[in-house]
Amino acid sequence: MKEASFTEKTRDGRDCALCWILCRKQSAVVETPGQILEFGPPMRERHHGFQTKKVVETPPQWKPSGRHTLSISARDKRQRSYLSLTAVLIMDDLQRELVPLEDLDDDSDSSDGNSSKGSKKSKLPLVNPMCAETPKETGFHQSTRVCLEQIREALLHHRWQEAAEYMACYPQMLEDPTNGTGQPYKELIWRISTEILHHHPNSKMEDYNNIYERMKHSGVRHYLMICLEHSFHLLLNGHIEDAKRQLSVAESWRHGKESAAQYQRIKLIHAYRSLLDYIIWCDKKFTHSNTEFPDSGDNQDMHNYFRQASVNLKEILKNPGVWDPFILSYVEMLEFYEDHEEALKVLNDYAYDSTFPPNPNAQVYLYQYLKRHDTSERKLMKVLKILHVLVPSHELMLEYSSLLLQSEKRSDIQKALGVVLEMLDFACWRSNLDTWKRLKSIIQKLQLQEDWKDVVSGQMAARKDWWPALHFTSFHASKDSEENPELMEVKAPLTKILCPDLMLKYTASQVTSGERS
Amino acid sequence: MENFFMDHYLDAFGCMSEILSENFNFKQGQRERYRRDSVHMWKVKNFLDMLKYKICAQSYSSRSLDTYSALLSDVVPSIPPELLGSLLYEELTEQRDRMLFSEGATGGALAFVPYSQSGSDSQRGCLLYPGNQGLDCLNFHRVELQHHKGSSSCVEVSSSDPFSFQLKGPVRQISSASLLNDCCVAVRSDHLCGVWRFSERNEPRLLQVVNTREVATCINVSPHVLGEVLVASESGAANLWTVGKGMQKIREEDSNLYFNAKSSWRWCEFSAHPRVMLYADRTGVELTDIRVNPVSNHTLFRISNTPECRSGERLILSRYLGDVHPFQHLITTQFSAYIMDERFPCMPMLKWDHMMQSPPMFCHAVCGAKTTKVLLGSHSSQEITMLQYSGGRAEACSTHGPPRALLRPRDSLKHLPVQIPHRLDIATSRLSSPAAGLTCIQKRGGREAGGEECICILQLTEAGDIFYQILEPEQPDTCRPPAADDDLLPQPTLKEVTTSGRKPAKQLQPPSQMVVSDTSSDEGVIGPTQGPTVQRFVAETPEREQQVLNSYNSSEDSDSGGKGQNLKQFGLQVIVNDDPELDQVCGLEVGVKDGKVGKDTADNTEEPSSLGHIGPSEWQTPVKLSDGALITWKHWLQKLMRKSRDKKPRPRCLQHLTVKTGGLLHLSEDERDEAQRYSTKAKPVQSLRRDLRACMSKRSLLVHSAVSASLGAPDVVMVPDPVDTEVWRDQISQRLTLSWQGEEAWRAWWEDQLGLNREEKVEALKRKRRREKEAKRATGRRLQLSGSFTSSVSYQSELGDFSDSTGWSSAASQGAWSDTESKMSQLEGSLECRTPRASTPSTMQTDTPAYTPTTTPQSVKDKQGDQQTPSRSRTLALSQTPKPDSTLANQRSNKRPAEDYLSSLFAPQDEPSQHDGYFLEQGSTVHHPPPPMALSSSQLRSSQPVPQRSLRMDLSQDTAVWSGFSQSQSLSQSSQGRMGLSQASQPKRKKSRMGF
Repeated sequence: MKEASFTEKTRDGRDCALCWILCRKQSAVVETPGQILEFGPPMRERHHGFQTKKVVETPPQWKPSGRHTLSISARDKRQRSYLSLTAVLIMDDLQRELVPLEDLDDDSDSSDGNSSKGSKKSKLPLVNPMCAETPKETGFHQSTRVCLEQIREALLHHRWQEAAEYMACYPQMLEDPTNGTGQPYKELIWRISTEILHHHPNSKMEDYNNIYERMKHSGVRHYLMICLEHSFHLLLNGHIEDAKRQLSVAESWRHGKESAAQYQRIKLIHAYRSLLDYIIWCDKKFTHSNTEFPDSGDNQDMHNYFRQASVNLKEILKNPGVWDPFILSYVEMLEFYEDHEEALKVLNDYAYDSTFPPNPNAQVYLYQYLKRHDTSERKLMKVLKILHVLVPSHELMLEYSSLLLQSEKRSDIQKALGVVLEMLDFACWRSNLDTWKRLKSIIQKLQLQEDWKDVVSGQMAARKDWWPALHFTSFHASKDSEENPELMEVKAPLTKILCPDLMLKYTASQVTSGERS
Repeated sequence: MENFFMDHYLDAFGCMSEILSENFNFKQGQRERYRRDSVHMWKVKNFLDMLKYKICAQSYSSRSLDTYSALLSDVVPSIPPELLGSLLYEELTEQRDRMLFSEGATGGALAFVPYSQSGSDSQRGCLLYPGNQGLDCLNFHRVELQHHKGSSSCVEVSSSDPFSFQLKGPVRQISSASLLNDCCVAVRSDHLCGVWRFSERNEPRLLQVVNTREVATCINVSPHVLGEVLVASESGAANLWTVGKGMQKIREEDSNLYFNAKSSWRWCEFSAHPRVMLYADRTGVELTDIRVNPVSNHTLFRISNTPECRSGERLILSRYLGDVHPFQHLITTQFSAYIMDERFPCMPMLKWDHMMQSPPMFCHAVCGAKTTKVLLGSHSSQEITMLQYSGGRAEACSTHGPPRALLRPRDSLKHLPVQIPHRLDIATSRLSSPAAGLTCIQKRGGREAGGEECICILQLTEAGDIFYQILEPEQPDTCRPPAADDDLLPQPTLKEVTTSGRKPAKQLQPPSQMVVSDTSSDEGVIGPTQGPTVQRFVAETPEREQQVLNSYNSSEDSDSGGKGQNLKQFGLQVIVNDDPELDQVCGLEVGVKDGKVGKDTADNTEEPSSLGHIGPSEWQTPVKLSDGALITWKHWLQKLMRKSRDKKPRPRCLQHLTVKTGGLLHLSEDERDEAQRYSTKAKPVQSLRRDLRACMSKRSLLVHSAVSASLGAPDVVMVPDPVDTEVWRDQISQRLTLSWQGEEAWRAWWEDQLGLNREEKVEALKRKRRREKEAKRATGRRLQLSGSFTSSVSYQSELGDFSDSTGWSSAASQGAWSDTESKMSQLEGSLECRTPRASTPSTMQTDTPAYTPTTTPQSVKDKQGDQQTPSRSRTLALSQTPKPDSTLANQRSNKRPAEDYLSSLFAPQDEPSQHDGYFLEQGSTVHHPPPPMALSSSQLRSSQPVPQRSLRMDLSQDTAVWSGFSQSQSLSQSSQGRMGLSQASQPKRKKSRMGF
């Protein structure tokens, strides 16, 4: 198993577009009754009846997406692989689950929120019908609804051309006077059209820019989101400067009072802009180191980028969340400028701040940093110990066990045994030769002590009833002897030591070379 | 409630009716055989029989029934109606919920256990699926996925019978795990869980069965240790069941984990550590470490804790993706799918919005070469969505492309040959039964270059059918899917040829017509007259095959009790080329293939399907079907049809007062026979429904054929018996009869009845004169015709005159018809028995409105009284039977009209005289109607109705020959006219009456 850094996750930015068909449509269903509500009580009653029948739920409120990720094909030669960037904000949405919050959106339609207050929630976890007929449906509504259905079908079946053709007709939905501001439809159109453009074989960059610009200015509500996505798209296509320009524009954009949602989005925009600063910084650094002739102006430029990025990142990283790529880039810059104190502080905060979600990566980063800077084993073990609690199956546990093994304390050897045994519990280490070898060496060392049998049996007590089935069946024996005879050699003598009381079939299979204890 | 009473009357009324039954006698005339104190109920019974039809509640009421119902209504039902109502309501809501979202089916009852890779071209394994009608039979069946590079793929089913185990309840979930070569399968039904073990070489054998007190909601086999099974039930408990050793409770929760979701659904899964389990409910997932006591829990996933969680979002399914990644779990909600890493709790690695219409309850993940494919299947809407992602180890997780919807069984109808509606309905409902499971056969790329791989997705529906579709990665070089597809297009036409070739043979086979129900026999009748259209081809094919299969099945049914289930399939392959500009990873060329497990016994025809693809430029999906696919489809369909015929559900609604048109229909068939015999170019009869409209359309057909066949042998014997309006003498029937002639006539009748319009009529005289004339003509014709039947020579001559003058009559064909009729009647010696039938054509000649009403009363009569109307069989027999009947009826109904006579202005004895005169008149008025006569008739018109009725009465009485068959007044008049009485003034009256 290779480097298993598991934390970084990506959510392809495009994928969220599709969801909006469902999501927005859902709210569209609700909205019509909402508007009718204003006509008076009798209407209202009728509509409540309708709502309960149709299982209408609270309209989804467009919260800022907590997480945004993109893959940037960085030009930085140093990072040839894809650099995955993630920003995750943790939002506890329990409140929303229990009580529908009031609309957090910047310029919310008043009808959006209250229309569903009276609706009865179905206890079944069902998706609302996507294209439900509303009672007051005109022919226009019907045709747009059917059109939307067709678009959905086409999208789901990846028939992009067909979807594009339908999409050409759909925007007339915006002209519907009964829609009010038509915000949900604008968003819908934005999502669908970008999605189609992503996949359509003949789409061009100009089309994208066109769509994005138009949608951006169609309403203030999604401005920040669209800016963010626009820049992601530019990044995907390698236009880093353009993307940064987009984000800078968005940074300076202000509209009305800052809602919580807007605040979150602005934070994201800051973060990503800093990240882009970092990328440009990396570029400059690379050219700088290559040119051999350090140009002071160029150097200055690079410092400027660092300053911009660090100021922002320092602020952003105070917010609880999973900021893995941002942390890494920040630490890298700090390391470059040899601000070790700050770097350590950032990493420590990231790893130990209790307001942050438990993040094994934070420990890993800290450990890697400490190791880079030759910190004492004691500190390393401390970090690894915490990591062991979080992720006992982590590959660094091998290092941990070796560290424990190196220490002369008796208890550490027992600890090492525990660590390795626990690793072997997990499926991924089960047939790993190194782990078994480590176990063997630990036991060998342990055998120097008198009470090693007690120690082993103590560790194995909990595993007694399932370890044999997990590791030492005749199936395993035959498989190991076929695929990995060396493993077999290591494993076979250990069976008797680990499970001395049981008659195990592991050794009973084919004869492999070597001694058997 | 009503439906419940109807459907489950034994449950509802069983007890009390048994007790009461001794005291009631529902049979007529058998009283003495019962105890003396039993209540005679046949009247009530008669009334109850009537209730089957829609009748007026006011006019038809039975006092005795009312009293009985008052007396017994609270005694008879076994369950008090109030209680029953609430119970029914509960049950129905629950059923509705289950239709929308069937919790129990979570996980899916379809599994595939791969055996070790046998060859480069195939993947063998064992398919586990529930069989039988109630899905209560667990089958282990060897299958083989055959995949050949560059050609079609299919799932090959071994010819050997599957190992079947009959269970006590429907199979809800099948979970399997194989460790090396040994496989462990756990099966969950509602209250029973069982574990089987098998391997490639060993037959499956049952290891242990446990009974759960609460409904089990989840069962999962450990991927780590063979023989460990997790069972969760609605009690909130999760048990670790070590087969052979017993259960160990690992966790029990009374309430939901994070908030009250009012759901008792629980789920549990294994995780990367054999002693750490996932415990899930609708609100989230917790990791439960059972090594320590008490168990320690920490959250893995929590609804409302994820970004962009939506209101009402609930966890639907959790699945450990151990084969893909040792630490990953898939968690689905009704909106999204999450990939969770158990090392990084609470933080989804990935999130998709899967865009499915109903919550995904089945999933299967396969680890492909480049991406991991997650297949989500939903229950009610049958959707399958494929999501692809990669990463999770050295790289971050990332999705590849948007979700992709795969073909659903119900979509496949679009690609199949067109069916006639009732077949289509049955097939549609069958195909769209909710999905019950999803699994996948993966064929990894072998040593071959390119590492060609394909996955075959199998989907089980609740009806027990299994469909499959095969996905292949897109060939990077050519967008051409497997070749050899293009040439099979002519297949359908070819088949059509064979079908039509078979058609005559089929008609000659009497058993086939006996076997098939009326609908199909209808087709058989239609067939010959229709041109060979595609539709007919479709309709016919199954039948043809059915005959072949019938014999075959009968033998096999005896063997397997008619319940054997064999794997069948029909292939439907759609190959959609992906967008080439996508990264190759997500570019999957999709070959879709549907296979089925037919429910009936059948031969194991494995028809490899091929065919149909779309060029990269075309974006629509024009699907061509392979012949194999079509054949399989055909087999499947015809079995379905036969089955559906076997058990027709009780019609849910009240029957309407139906019109028995058996005689008429039969006639029409005869007519058609006639038509076929006489005319080669007979028009196709579109609808064979036994209703009046069909009859009318047939009339035209009859006329045509008569025209063309006027020279032919007189086969008039087969003409129908129209209703005689005579028998219905009361005002209402009369009015109804008239109303068929149009609103005008109806209004006039009313005006006549009320005497309102005397002056008006006088004024409108001139306008009406023309109509009178026509009326006269019509009557004349009828008169002559009917006269001809009486075989008096003089009439024949007159008839001849008349038919000569048909040139001016409105419809030449009618005239021609009457001509032939008369000839026929002349030709036939035995007039006595022929006349009843011969009379019908005369009615045919009347105007359409006049014709239609006559049928209705007849049939009504047929139903209710069944005394007067000569049914078809009677006419076919001899005329003796109708005679006594009708006379009887006439005598019965005689009394009342007699009173009418007295009260009426016109004496009954006038009537006979009318006709002759009228008849005589007819000849003259046709050519030059005298104005004064018309005037007088119009004056008299208002007072007509009563005599009319009486007249009819008389006539039917007088002429026994006409008995039930006398069609209209004019007919009866004419027959009376034979009596030879003559009076000049009377005809006018008649004429005027006919004017309506």
